[in-house]
Amino acid sequence: MMADRRRINGPPGGTRPAVFASNLQSGTSATDRAQRQRQPSELRKIFLKTGLIPTASGSSYLEFEPSASLAAARANPKSLIPPSSALKLACTVHGPKPLPRSAAFSPNLVLTTHVKYAPFAARQRKGHIRDSSERDLGVHLETALRGAIIAERWPKSGLDITITILEAEDDRWWGSAPDSHDASWGMMNVLAGCITAASAAIADAHIDCLDLVAGGVAAIVSDEPSGTSTGVPKLMLDTDPAEHRSILSACVVAYMPARDEITELWLKGDSSKASLEDGDTRTGHEALIDGAVDAARGAHTVLAEAVRESLLRTVGQA
Amino acid sequence: MSNQRQASSASQVPHLSPAELSYLYTSLSLPKTPIRPDGRSPTQFRPLTAETNILPGTNGSARIGFADGTQAIVGVKAEVEKTILSNETLARNDGGVGGEQEGSAAVGGHGSWVQMSIEIPGFRDDDALPVFLSEMMRESLVGAVGTDETSDMTGGLKGRLVINKRWHWRLYIDVLLLSQPLAYPLPLLSLTTHLALLSTKLPKLKSQGEEDPFFDDDWAVAEYLYPRPSLSSGAKSSARSSFVRPPVTLLVISVGENIIFDPNREEIAVADAVLAISITRDSEAGNLKLLSIRTVDPPSRLTQPGVPNSENVSMLGAVAPTEDVAVLNPATGEEEVPGVWRPRRGGVKRSVIAEMVKTALKKGGVGEEVLEGLEGVEVS
Amino acid sequence: MPLDTSTTYPLTKLRLDGRRWNELRLIQAQISTNPASSGSSYLSMGNTAIMCSVHGPAEGRRGEASGSGGSAGAIVEVDVNVAGFSGVDRKRRAGGSDKQSSRIATTLRSAFQSHLHTYLYPHSTISIHVSVLSADGSLLAAAINACTLALVDAGIPMPGLLTSCTAGMSGSASTPRDPRNDELDPLLDLSLPEEQELPVLTVGTTTSVPVGENNMDEEEGDMKVAVLTMDSKLHYSYMETMLAVGIDGCNQIRELLEGVIKGSSRA
Repeated sequence: MMADRRRINGPPGGTRPAVFASNLQSGTSATDRAQRQRQPSELRKIFLKTGLIPTASGSSYLEFEPSASLAAARANPKSLIPPSSALKLACTVHGPKPLPRSAAFSPNLVLTTHVKYAPFAARQRKGHIRDSSERDLGVHLETALRGAIIAERWPKSGLDITITILEAEDDRWWGSAPDSHDASWGMMNVLAGCITAASAAIADAHIDCLDLVAGGVAAIVSDEPSGTSTGVPKLMLDTDPAEHRSILSACVVAYMPARDEITELWLKGDSSKASLEDGDTRTGHEALIDGAVDAARGAHTVLAEAVRESLLRTVGQA
Repeated sequence: MSNQRQASSASQVPHLSPAELSYLYTSLSLPKTPIRPDGRSPTQFRPLTAETNILPGTNGSARIGFADGTQAIVGVKAEVEKTILSNETLARNDGGVGGEQEGSAAVGGHGSWVQMSIEIPGFRDDDALPVFLSEMMRESLVGAVGTDETSDMTGGLKGRLVINKRWHWRLYIDVLLLSQPLAYPLPLLSLTTHLALLSTKLPKLKSQGEEDPFFDDDWAVAEYLYPRPSLSSGAKSSARSSFVRPPVTLLVISVGENIIFDPNREEIAVADAVLAISITRDSEAGNLKLLSIRTVDPPSRLTQPGVPNSENVSMLGAVAPTEDVAVLNPATGEEEVPGVWRPRRGGVKRSVIAEMVKTALKKGGVGEEVLEGLEGVEVS
Repeated sequence: MPLDTSTTYPLTKLRLDGRRWNELRLIQAQISTNPASSGSSYLSMGNTAIMCSVHGPAEGRRGEASGSGGSAGAIVEVDVNVAGFSGVDRKRRAGGSDKQSSRIATTLRSAFQSHLHTYLYPHSTISIHVSVLSADGSLLAAAINACTLALVDAGIPMPGLLTSCTAGMSGSASTPRDPRNDELDPLLDLSLPEEQELPVLTVGTTTSVPVGENNMDEEEGDMKVAVLTMDSKLHYSYMETMLAVGIDGCNQIRELLEGVIKGSSRA
């Protein structure tokens, strides 16, 4: 074990806070479970603003609209614990700047991506050292952006993209057992947000891109209790994992609308059970990818508007 | 330093000149009949040697060597661990609120019970490449949920690890690459992991129900982690295919309009798009199903561009301007001078992705061929 | 009764795994196992199994070549990786290396740096990668033997085979030795349970010319000890016996390895 012997550490594995019967009654009853109020193809609103961090060459801040259930819970609190969380993240771009002297020659812009959760971002505290999921997100983001940036225009240069996640999406409803669907579905929403925000920040830093690349998420969810057969898996866009009982499969894409191309695709789960509309001959995964692309198109409109604002600001300064 | 930066993308950029890259791209993107440097057909895999149960100290192990000399060894070890019950599960059992998601921890298993670590020479444990590879393989492993109610494998691998409500197995999968990777090591690692899991055995449980578990000392009666068809019922391929098998991850690239499986280092260097597709056999229908797709950053984006003669100062006046005319590459939608390499840009079309998945999944396609080939490896 | 050497050995004169005091474990070895490297080998001594691959001599990396002694001869780099599944219990190492493997790596590097004819390859690097697949005692000794085989396979000149073996005593050996009533026997090639319990010594020897079948006696004068490590407490009067047994073990292993290299599998 890597225990730090210089400090007095708490017990390994954590302790369990006292659970009072009154809490339990109100807190975990099934009626308080967050429910999706939006239409299957309705997206959450996105707040995106560029140029908030003056020291960086480009920056952006992105926030998802809290789900309707969260607003309801705030207006009429039954429990102190919010039923779901909404994504908030900040992205900074530093560069293009010369590569360090020790680095080898590169004919292209060398992209470095850094994704870090703030310690308080998730319900479970994150450490200060990047863990494997954060590194994984970094690789995904790098793949998404590298396809969009025209890298050969900056030989021998580096570009650092740093994303700090201030509030992360939940992987499941907080009241469900941690194993009910334990895959990290929230990570996919976080990645979609990272892609959109990074794209805005890169445009804010005036770096040439093929197109603004936007992130979108779609998922196949079944909301009925899994025991009954009525729970038909449905395709939904921009899913908040806290609002769904079980997510069978989810997909995130980084999409460039002008070229109709996907630079990053991450799909996982069993997509074969989705019930599509009659006459729809697509297979589950194709429908899922198309759904994610539709969600990305939605995010792209916000992105374009934010970039236009950023441009107006620069023009105004000049 | 530079090595580490580049390594975070698909793999190291091979040292090929723009002219070589252009030649490779042209021959690989020939319509319908790509010519691969080693003469394989687009869906053919490289020859490999495989053996299982090579390490007596592990629960299961396998070694695969490709003909180019890269080898991987995978060892699987299992440990018994106490299941930490969450508040909620306890509360449900006490208060009887249950009904929904009943005791899901005990029945469903937990994805974190499978741990995977990949050792690649020249990389640190927490470098991007090993982390990305292990997350990719782990997510398809724990994501493969069997729906067959009758077999032991309900709930997939996660469910199989449950001993009872209070105890479970923790599975450690250690992947060892024995030499610096020549190509993107994903296919090698995935196939080796598949074989190691197939050969993995767990001691036979002697305790019953909710007792603290104790096991039969006799290793000869140990049970396979992925149950085998018994000899009496088996032998028929139809019976065999109904058993749950670990997933495999295939590496697929697209070059021009062609789709090529199991690329070697030179081929991946000119790929337009690289996809890692995890598949497994659907235990009900017997056909293949998709578990996950991830795009991998194609190293072709980091290559050095070639310079067409018309722009080359040293060739000024030596060639007629009509000699190289930019034409539109239908696959990428960009203007290119034939024979002059441009680093790839942009992403991949949805139709290409759909075609890649279809080729991998279709009956008698690449996926089935690979799974059958692996089942043919003698698991002693 | 606990099954350990110090209580059972005096009664039976047999060790835990049934060997006599001067018996080696079964040694199996193979060279050229990995075509992707310059030289490679697989060696198992009992349940200890090691794979080793050598790359080079190749051009050294920038920065290192200009460093100390880089121009005079090749630099030997050693990387030891003890697989997570090698022991009985799986252990997770933090950050990719632990004390044990970095110690083995240091010993290997210093042993082979001085052993090989590195002056033939100025400005170059010879990198050795050792993977321990299964660990059951005598790790360092097995690693040295595997490296020797891989370096021979890579065709890197050396004066003779550097072979290594462990030796121990069949008790704690903390009191002076009584020459009239000697209760303790020296043991050859220790396994993991013995290594944890008894004083243990790793010795590696080399000869300047290959061992012949018939002129063993003349070779004695040419034998050199290249590696000698010990970190357990032992009364000095036992030292000589242990060394003698260890060196004898090295000679046996040298003959076995010669057989492997010549292609006649006497092992």
